[in-house]
Amino acid sequence: MVVPPHEPGLKHAHFRTAGLPTLLLLPQLLILLFFFFIPSLRALAQAFLLADPFGATVHFVWFDNFTALFASESYRNSVWVTIWFTLGQNVVTIVVALILAFATDRVVRFQSAYKGVILLPYAIAPVIAGVMWAFLFNPAVGPIAFFIKSLGFAWDPNRNGSDAMLLVILAASWKHICYDYIFLVAGLLAVPKSLMEAAAVDGAGPVKRFFQIALPLLGPTLFFLATMNFVYGFFETFAIIDAVTHGGPAGATNILVYKVFQDGFVNLDLGSSAAQSVLLMSFALLLTLLQFKYVERKVNYSI
Amino acid sequence: MNAVSLRAYVAAGAIALGLSSHAAVAQPVEVQWWHAMNGVNGERVDELVKKFNESNDQYKVVAVNKGNYDEVINSTIAAYRAKRPPHIVQIYERGFMTMLLSDAIVPVQDLMDKTGHKVDWNDFIKPVAGFYAYKGRLAAMPFNSSSPILYYNQDQFKKAGFDKPAETWGEFEKQLYAVKKSGASGCGTALATDYHWSMIENYSAINDQPYATKANGYNGLDTEFVYNKTLVVPQVARLKRWLDDGILQIAGQGFSPEQLFTSGTCATYFASTAAHSGIERNSKISWSATFLPWEEGRQPKNSTIGGAALWVIKGHKPEEEKAIAAFFDFLAKPETQLWWHKATGYVPLTNKAYELAKSQGYYKESPTREIAIQQLNRGTPTENSLGFHFGNFTQSMFAQREEVEALFAGKKDAQQAMDDAVKRGNEILRQYERLNKGKY
Amino acid sequence: MVERSPLLTIICHLLLIGGIVLVCMPLYFAFVAGSLTMQEVQQVPMPLLPGGHFLENLATAWSKVSFGRLLVNSLIVSVGITVGKVAISLLSAFAITYFRFRFRLLAFWLIFMSLMLPVEVRIVPTYESVANAALPIQWVVDGLNLSGLWEALTGYRVEISLEWNMLNTYQGLILPLIASASATFLFRQFFLTVPEELLEAARLDGASAMRFFWTILLPLSRSNIIALSIILFLYGWNQYLWPLLFTTDKDMATAVIGVKNLIPRSDTEPAWNVAMSGALLTMLPPVLVVLIMQRWFVRGLVDSSK
Repeated sequence: MVVPPHEPGLKHAHFRTAGLPTLLLLPQLLILLFFFFIPSLRALAQAFLLADPFGATVHFVWFDNFTALFASESYRNSVWVTIWFTLGQNVVTIVVALILAFATDRVVRFQSAYKGVILLPYAIAPVIAGVMWAFLFNPAVGPIAFFIKSLGFAWDPNRNGSDAMLLVILAASWKHICYDYIFLVAGLLAVPKSLMEAAAVDGAGPVKRFFQIALPLLGPTLFFLATMNFVYGFFETFAIIDAVTHGGPAGATNILVYKVFQDGFVNLDLGSSAAQSVLLMSFALLLTLLQFKYVERKVNYSI
Repeated sequence: MNAVSLRAYVAAGAIALGLSSHAAVAQPVEVQWWHAMNGVNGERVDELVKKFNESNDQYKVVAVNKGNYDEVINSTIAAYRAKRPPHIVQIYERGFMTMLLSDAIVPVQDLMDKTGHKVDWNDFIKPVAGFYAYKGRLAAMPFNSSSPILYYNQDQFKKAGFDKPAETWGEFEKQLYAVKKSGASGCGTALATDYHWSMIENYSAINDQPYATKANGYNGLDTEFVYNKTLVVPQVARLKRWLDDGILQIAGQGFSPEQLFTSGTCATYFASTAAHSGIERNSKISWSATFLPWEEGRQPKNSTIGGAALWVIKGHKPEEEKAIAAFFDFLAKPETQLWWHKATGYVPLTNKAYELAKSQGYYKESPTREIAIQQLNRGTPTENSLGFHFGNFTQSMFAQREEVEALFAGKKDAQQAMDDAVKRGNEILRQYERLNKGKY
Repeated sequence: MVERSPLLTIICHLLLIGGIVLVCMPLYFAFVAGSLTMQEVQQVPMPLLPGGHFLENLATAWSKVSFGRLLVNSLIVSVGITVGKVAISLLSAFAITYFRFRFRLLAFWLIFMSLMLPVEVRIVPTYESVANAALPIQWVVDGLNLSGLWEALTGYRVEISLEWNMLNTYQGLILPLIASASATFLFRQFFLTVPEELLEAARLDGASAMRFFWTILLPLSRSNIIALSIILFLYGWNQYLWPLLFTTDKDMATAVIGVKNLIPRSDTEPAWNVAMSGALLTMLPPVLVVLIMQRWFVRGLVDSSK
């Protein structure tokens, strides 16, 4: 018997029937067909059309929807807003998570109690988190806004775009710090004790050791977390934007995902919304490939 | 040829085959009405429908709340494309052109003629009928219409030495500064969430300023916005000045501007006449209301409406169309109009209903409820005050709001902001023209 | 710990306490707001200590948006998503790792493409698809002109219209959210680490493929399944955009949408107290899950990101 050449992702010991696996794959593929591939193809088709929402009049317009997007100031603005938002959110999330992870690694007492509480925001719906933050920072009634103003700072996220951006970054980070935190705690635990001890013998203090030894070893984890934070910021913060700012003021927090929704559902500009969907989907696919190719094998997930 | 209608339903993954023949109607003919009224107004709609259903045994209207206006139009589109539309849908005034040119509707006046109902369309309040008319005939049945008015805090005005708000913007502005200076109130006015409607669109109508060419879009799809060349520019600059001086306050997300007024924080509030019920219920202040101000030296024109109208989706059976017509006939009755007016705060739609309200002395007990209708009936509507027929009006409205917010944030000056809003709005109008060329 | 450094330990405790304050502050204020009367909650600044009206507000919230029903809906939807996704993922991961057949790689890539595409991105076309999922089939029917064919053959006019409208149904809320392959990859990765000998041994005993799956693979995956289920449960419970667009019938909404409907808007009364008590009620089940099943939750989070 000829040994078949090894296929990636296939067990050496395997079955060789075709009917059963097809049956097993069927539910997954049907779901994907109806709720993923057909909608995606529709988006693709719609992106080349100028159409009445009721479907009364449809013109094929080639790439007009795309060229209109690239020429549109509000779309370019949305791209920049998304970049700033995801960057800001990334920095805040990683820095706070690193500090908390470092501290968790050093303490013995109450460690699991600390962990338990810090994990909580993950359980809370983004829209509820957004509403709580919007309320706290509301310049007219919010207790924290009151505190900021009593310190003499101007604070008005309804009018000032950077205040609004800061607010959504804080709300989005608050929800996501726990995620990075878990990976960093696990990563710190995996740093070989011998390395740390050797450095301690050489007279390096805990903070120095953290920066010189632990942080470089956490590199791949940090890279992985940055990717995941971008994915989070890009695609999963819709509810926070919707609850806190509605993309305003003057489009200052109108991230790409929110704009897809607004142009499609509120403005009924289906062609433009579909073109934006297509661009976002291509970008997401790119991120997936990137993550699959570079991130996956380099990170040690063991806890 | 025998016509058998065979419909194959695939429901919830299971296939069911059903044969339906159109047997004689024993049950009342049922029509679906999708609406956007929730809360108290939603209950009023249910009462309204109940009144109609009890008034006859031939027809039955089923009212379904489908969320807010955006959600109703989206559900309608999805249902229409899926070939299962309701009979009647309530669509906001900004969706007029979208509905008119959708090829999905039966114009209401055609429907009423076809089913032999006589409705005195000339008796409808001009800015109401004018808004929903195409080439002189009503395309949609006016339903909940309102107009913005100016609510004010009587105590705070008295404390600053005024009886009531002044009639002109210039004097009114002085009053607001004086109110703040006197310490009667920390804030002159709260910016309503729909300020584009009261502060820009109605401002243009009342002051007879053109909003766009071609009679605000009534005379062609090639209309272009021109409000960057009118008094609108100093008007938005005024709002920015108020904001800088703490005269104007934005309530912001999750917090209602009405609350700023009813709690006594702000001395005035520009809002729809339909806000009456909320203000009456929640406020502990003594308040009254008056007309929107106008610019000094101008003859004020009528204000324009907001709200929504009822559209009939085409493709339904003749007896269902009869049911729809019967329901509309019921809606147009002065008694129904008056009941709705009293129950919700929206304006009565016909002069007969208005007269009926007056003759019953309704405005003696609630004088502020008459303001909107008087304002709508003021003078003869001009090309600038009849209404707005713009394609994708929601989209250009949002573009305009973004530019106003840019002005508020200090990123642009008033002229720049309005120029950019007009530029973006015109791109939206051109796209709409390209799509619908030859249809209007 | 390598050496003792009391000062650093204290600083670390302080940092962690700071973190906890950061986490709890919005929750605390939400609780305070939820326990005040409507007049108190409107004060500027708001009182910093809780009032005594929490249960009263909760009762108002409960009756205002029929929370009982919404919580049941949320439960059905999140359990549906969890069970559905775990089931189809286990099966397809089993198929692509344990079977050699012609379209194996094609299937793998088809599933892979959907890995990181959230429903938010293709929201409009997905909405249309689910409003009538049978539309593609209808196109086929129309395209082939089956009705015309039938009429020509029999003389009867038959109108074939296919419909599969899932608006306001549980399956409409659940199925589109199952359509992403992340869980399939988790199980695929796990199956690849299962010792080869297990299958060989099972074969010697004459076990069929499905028997091997049920009696060996499934029990081995138990802990992965539990860990992943927690993450999926939270994901399902906290969904926002999809149920928001997709349920127009108030009785089919989820608890999160119920909270959203309680949030005061411009022309409603400013009942922040009621909204906040509803928000706390809605976040209670997922918070309890995370607190009680902390270890599984952490593991699920790490697993599901692979």
